[in-house]
Amino acid sequence: MKTLSNMVWIELRKVLRSRVPLFTALGFLMMPLIGALLIFIYKDPQLARQLGLLGTKANLLIVSADWPGYLTIMVEFTALGGFFFFCLAISWVFGREFTDGTLKDLLAVPVPRFDILLAKFIVSALWCMALILETYVVGLILGVVIGLPGGSLAVILHGTGLLAVTAVMSITLVMPFGFFASIGRGYLLPIGIAVLTVILGNLSITLGWGEYFPWSIPALVFQETPIPLFSYALVALTGLAGIGVTYLWWKYADQNR
Amino acid sequence: MNWAIETENLGKRYGDVAAVDDLHLRVAEGEIYTFLGLNGAGKTTTIRMLLGMIKPTHGSATVLGNRVRLGSREPWAEVGYLVEMPHAYPELTVYENLEVARRLHPGTERKAVNRVIERLGLAQYANRRAGILSQGNAQRLGVAKALLHDPKLLLLDEPANGLDPAGIVEIRALLLELTREQGVTVFMSSHILAEVSKLAKRIGIIHEGRLLQEMDIAGMERNRRRRLLVRAWDIETVQRALSAVGYPGEILPDGTLELNQTAAIESPDNIANLLVRAGTPPTQLLVEEEELEQYFLRLVGSSGDKQ
Repeated sequence: MKTLSNMVWIELRKVLRSRVPLFTALGFLMMPLIGALLIFIYKDPQLARQLGLLGTKANLLIVSADWPGYLTIMVEFTALGGFFFFCLAISWVFGREFTDGTLKDLLAVPVPRFDILLAKFIVSALWCMALILETYVVGLILGVVIGLPGGSLAVILHGTGLLAVTAVMSITLVMPFGFFASIGRGYLLPIGIAVLTVILGNLSITLGWGEYFPWSIPALVFQETPIPLFSYALVALTGLAGIGVTYLWWKYADQNR
Repeated sequence: MNWAIETENLGKRYGDVAAVDDLHLRVAEGEIYTFLGLNGAGKTTTIRMLLGMIKPTHGSATVLGNRVRLGSREPWAEVGYLVEMPHAYPELTVYENLEVARRLHPGTERKAVNRVIERLGLAQYANRRAGILSQGNAQRLGVAKALLHDPKLLLLDEPANGLDPAGIVEIRALLLELTREQGVTVFMSSHILAEVSKLAKRIGIIHEGRLLQEMDIAGMERNRRRRLLVRAWDIETVQRALSAVGYPGEILPDGTLELNQTAAIESPDNIANLLVRAGTPPTQLLVEEEELEQYFLRLVGSSGDKQ
């Protein structure tokens, strides 16, 4: 346990001393800001007409200019946009060892390889959670600032619950990207696969196969589409498989960098 | 004898290319063994196989009595290493990079970080980000990481890379001190021959993945070609006079007579006497030893010719 806590300390130190978390935090901040802006435009039909395309977009995305509508769009943004930022975070945590040439310093050491990797997964998850928390807090403040109607404890709790479930699923589904960053020895492969995943996820939902494709499932959850229990299991298995194959690759693949 | 490193038929192939082929190495405890070779000769691949970073396609390696396996935890608590470029986390300071290395070696006391910083002359850079270090100081940091946990065995890939002459002398003195006073074994690769001759006890020459020759430093000195160069006002008369007494030689394009006989090389005073008596005294007698670079290239070149 002491070894694992040491490894977590190392990974945390690397993340906190880098500027990448700041960039992801700024990027993530755009989601509540855009959500609040769209709601603000939607609330005022005259303004929506004046803004043309942006007004049309607001009309398309927003269901209602109140707390339930606002929380829905926040969860939607977190599930879709957030996934990219999560991919970026985990890709950096794993891929940087290859691009910075520091991987070799982690290999011939008297520390279990699994502890080194688990620390990377833990810190990646913590990073994603911090981003979610940031969005949540800023989102709530903006909701109050723009004076949204229809707010009640039940509505907020429902939205928070949806956000939490979607976030946990998205974070679980991002675990295989540690593997993609490892086999791609950098950031490009996981980012490319992230784009492909979103395209395939949308296609799966359109074709009615969303519940079978792990990366579609969070979208079904926030849309509150009933999904079978095995879809939840599929998400958990995907995350565990991601951790497992990353471990096997780090343990058994030749490391030339 | 106890071997710190032992390999049997160790080899690595990438498709049809043999990066390392049938390598038999024995490195005794407490010695400095240098692996000499051109770029791409297989030095780094060998070091990576010894560190369990690359799986051999055939053969095996034993380090400090432990059979090396991919991803194993043994015997790395007692091994320090520097492979290729000395990379560090650029956003972390020198101190923080060493603290990371310390935590990767459980049981290493906290004071070890400051100790190694002092030892490698990094004190004034301790709080500087590694990303802005000069190449020489980055190299020192790499060596510091290898030494941090007081290992019994050091595997160093080109440790003198990027160091200025003072730095090279410092690292050399440090490695010699470690072997003499603490019995540390050093296995290092290099292509800087002058450095190797001052440091190593034994040398292995690797070329195109194969170990061409293994010798101690005295053996290398013996194997280097020596010649006696003679200058005189009338070099052709000198050539005839020496040839007549059993010292045939060749006149080089610069007008110098080259003699390769051991007797001539070991007793140039006899040659001087012979020439004085023949009435053609020499203006210069010079015993010249083959440069290390020439010796190495001759060895590597002749291997290439055979193939």
